[in-house]
Amino acid sequence: MLYRIANNARPLLAALGFLGAVLLPPWVPLLVMVLLAFRFAAWEIPAIGLFVDLIWLAPSGEGLLASLPLFTLAGLALMWGLEPLRSEFLTR
Amino acid sequence: MSSYLRSDRRKARRRLLIATVIVVALFALDILSGGFFRGIARTASMIVWSAGSRIESAVFGSGYFSSRRSLQTENDALKQKIIEFEVETAEIETLKNENAELREVVHLAESTGGITAPIVSSVRSSPYGTFMVGAGTAEGISAGSMVMAGGGRSFVIGRITEAGEHSSLVKEVFAPGVSAEGELRGAVLLFEGQGGGNARAKAPRTLSVAEGDSVTSALFGGRLIGVVGAVSSDSGSAYQSVYVRTPVNLSKLQFVYVVPNR
Repeated sequence: MLYRIANNARPLLAALGFLGAVLLPPWVPLLVMVLLAFRFAAWEIPAIGLFVDLIWLAPSGEGLLASLPLFTLAGLALMWGLEPLRSEFLTR
Repeated sequence: MSSYLRSDRRKARRRLLIATVIVVALFALDILSGGFFRGIARTASMIVWSAGSRIESAVFGSGYFSSRRSLQTENDALKQKIIEFEVETAEIETLKNENAELREVVHLAESTGGITAPIVSSVRSSPYGTFMVGAGTAEGISAGSMVMAGGGRSFVIGRITEAGEHSSLVKEVFAPGVSAEGELRGAVLLFEGQGGGNARAKAPRTLSVAEGDSVTSALFGGRLIGVVGAVSSDSGSAYQSVYVRTPVNLSKLQFVYVVPNR
């Protein structure tokens, strides 16, 4: 039962992440990315990050921090960084 | 470890690698194409945001949450009234300063020709202190145009950083990670943006600063960019922290005034 709920959570979390990127404060898609990364090897993690950056990142921001695609980088870091943890503890 | 698990993990990693390549390729292609994918993503986000706004107004306008909603509305109206008073006070003070400084500063707001543009995105969703307005190059707006709000359209809240045909991306003056030089009581200070229309600066303790003091910036033609919301100082430090905010509630704004570059 729990297994099924956890698996069904992936599309729901992904939808929340994409909608949150447009409608909700930035910590919502970030939290969704973290939650997805803990449970799934999901392509949606960097996709949400890329979506946030495509919408909101100014192309020539002032300062290094302002011009870096932080959410895309965070998505890639989460997806790859938690892969050893996922492969160690999770079974399919 | 069984060969089945090993092969499963290998497959998962291959999928992650493909996802990484696609994400990086899309980002690179977007830069090379001058924002093709950005345009698509922003158009989609504007459609979603406008649908979200309609749903929100339908739900809250239905009367279902009326008692809570009416209190909230009253509270917001009172807060807005306070903000308007603060804006007026700050404006008066700035005008006084201008007169004192040999009446050399040209009257700004009256002489600027601009257009009123609707805000077409959420102003709280961006992690980079940006939002979108529904006017672009077709309306004479280009990157660098000033975006203003407030009573008399006198407060600068940001600058256009990217202009599309009918929509533009605005970067707030006090966006996170962005520093803006401003003048407070005759002293030039560096204000570090904190997002949400807030900024912080370190000022010498000898500088007399009070809540409600106005901050202007030469970067924005000497216009107002904020008012002092709080001042805190430590007796052991030579500096005091000055907290500045935009005196208009950005999340309540529906329209802004854009002054095109000359």
